[in-house]
Amino acid sequence: MIIRGRELTRDFENSADAVVVGTGAGGGMAVRELSRAGLKVIALEEGGYHVPADFTQREEQMIPMLFQDRGARTTADFAIRVLMGRGVGGSTIHNTNLCKRAPSEILDHWARRLGVVGCTEKDLLPVFEEVERDLSVSEIPEAQHNANNQVLARGLSALGFRGGPLRHNRVGCRESGFCELGCAYDAKQNVTKVLLPAALAANEQTVVMSDVRATRILHRGGVVTGVTGTAQNAAGDPIAKVTLKAKVVVLAASAVGSAALALASDLPDPEGQLGRGLRLHPGAAVAGFFDQRIDGFYGIPQSYECTELLDFGEKSDRRVWITTAFAHPIGAAASLPGFGAAHMTLLRRYAHMAVLTAMVHDETEGHVTLEEGDPKLHYAISAGDREQLARGLHASARILFAAGAREVVLASIPALRLTRPADVDRITTDVVGPHKLPLLSVHPMGTLRFGEDPKKSVVKSTGEHHNIRGLFVLDGSIFPTSIGVPPQISIYTFARHLATHAIERAR
Amino acid sequence: MGGVVALFRTAGYEALPRTAAHLRVLAPWQYAVVRAVARRMVAADRAEGVLSPDEVGVAEFVDGYLVEMRPRLRRDLFRMLRYVEQLAPLGSGFAGRFTDLEPSEQDEVLVALEASRFDQLRAGFQAIKSLVMMGYYRDARTFAILGYGGPFVLDRAEPLP
Repeated sequence: MIIRGRELTRDFENSADAVVVGTGAGGGMAVRELSRAGLKVIALEEGGYHVPADFTQREEQMIPMLFQDRGARTTADFAIRVLMGRGVGGSTIHNTNLCKRAPSEILDHWARRLGVVGCTEKDLLPVFEEVERDLSVSEIPEAQHNANNQVLARGLSALGFRGGPLRHNRVGCRESGFCELGCAYDAKQNVTKVLLPAALAANEQTVVMSDVRATRILHRGGVVTGVTGTAQNAAGDPIAKVTLKAKVVVLAASAVGSAALALASDLPDPEGQLGRGLRLHPGAAVAGFFDQRIDGFYGIPQSYECTELLDFGEKSDRRVWITTAFAHPIGAAASLPGFGAAHMTLLRRYAHMAVLTAMVHDETEGHVTLEEGDPKLHYAISAGDREQLARGLHASARILFAAGAREVVLASIPALRLTRPADVDRITTDVVGPHKLPLLSVHPMGTLRFGEDPKKSVVKSTGEHHNIRGLFVLDGSIFPTSIGVPPQISIYTFARHLATHAIERAR
Repeated sequence: MGGVVALFRTAGYEALPRTAAHLRVLAPWQYAVVRAVARRMVAADRAEGVLSPDEVGVAEFVDGYLVEMRPRLRRDLFRMLRYVEQLAPLGSGFAGRFTDLEPSEQDEVLVALEASRFDQLRAGFQAIKSLVMMGYYRDARTFAILGYGGPFVLDRAEPLP
């Protein structure tokens, strides 16, 4: 059953075997697994419940509807815009459906160096395979690579750079190009299409409540006892209290939301680990302008990747993933440098523009705090990560020129407008610092890291809190480092893998 | 004394009474600042057939967009609007309010903000720019500038690709 919290007319109290906070990749998977195990599950989601007919492909309507803080969330110093999902399905509603497993080198590092037990590549391989079957993961066929992605492929080929097609979880894609605004055609094999219907079909007791902001995890004597929350109307005003009792609480509200709720709940934190270890995969974009139309706003946005600068070995100095990125008019207008007549002149070439993005597999560790009840993200990008970003943008510019770009533009301050391949050397570490270039993050991770050592982690390798029995974290918060690739399939997989422990505890 | 100065500095704006009555979040002076900034940020070349931000209703859109914004974020934006109006012109050598400056002078102020050595001012500039661009390029009548065909659903009669 789905209950829209905004329609509640009085306070809501209930009890369940498990309460899941958050309904993104981790929460959605947890709801399905707990429901299939025959347990009574209630899931809380801060945002609304939306169906494909709601996805109008209009940025000014979808951005406030689908993103935290109406798309305005940033790090505390405003240097990095952080796009995070809000609504039933979380970021699986508006992500670009990329499915890259957490690299084996990363899993090995977690096991050998960071004390994570039971999550090696061998442990997870069958789980990845199962999850990918469930979500219909497949390679994006070449016929569905749009012109923007063909630019990337062409540039890599010309330079001899490593790369190839990406995998995704879409079926029946109409190639409209509006993935980041929600799929009007329901082609995404995501939480709302696959996992929640499975959960609701498996167990008639399962309840998903939208429009309810969890406010506190209840616990007593080292044991979790439930969750309180507030139902909100369409304007975000509180309209009813929600009180749920449960043997198990699963936190899956993202690396920011889960940490914020944990901080608001006075959880024991003897080692001061709560909220620490925030990773963002910071990135930035480079635009190339071509003689021919690219129309990057249509077609599958991301279908090809460059891995030339990506090596997951320890102390690697190749930590940049390059892929395509494209924005619809509002995003493009906000991202291109300058304003006024010069800005409009650039925008007139919008249809001839191809865009690449360089994303850093970051070593920087930030942290999350609370201010006036809202999460605050503290993240000062390290010199090493800046250098990586500069290398990535430099390589991206080379790729664009190699593919035939007439001009390459970096939205730095002042803007860099490059008209010859030799100009790319103007892209240096100095150019790409915070506030010198718009930086973007769409992959927050960390903050409630897992591992066996309570001095270095918040939850055990099973996902259960070191000090609160029955409290589990099953989202990207548990990752003790960056994973260097889009995290959705790994979050689904870890939630599937660790949900067995939550099920045992709830029985 | 500070309150008197603040009152003085936010009085005397010529927001149309009809518009002011319909504002949901912005004060009339804030509305005037957003409108003035939008006029410089978009369509400054005013090529034939290009709509002005006033015609598209950029400032009205921004007012509506802020209704459901978290109070803390809204407060940050209001501080930035106050800075743009009252202090930023001084930083560029102009004695008047931003809304009273000549267009070329306003451009100088905005250029200085965009490249300010203070991180928060650059971020504030970007926040206002993002809102203005959203207010302008949300309108299907502006898509032709971009060569953009628009959404497939609702606004298009053609079949899906």
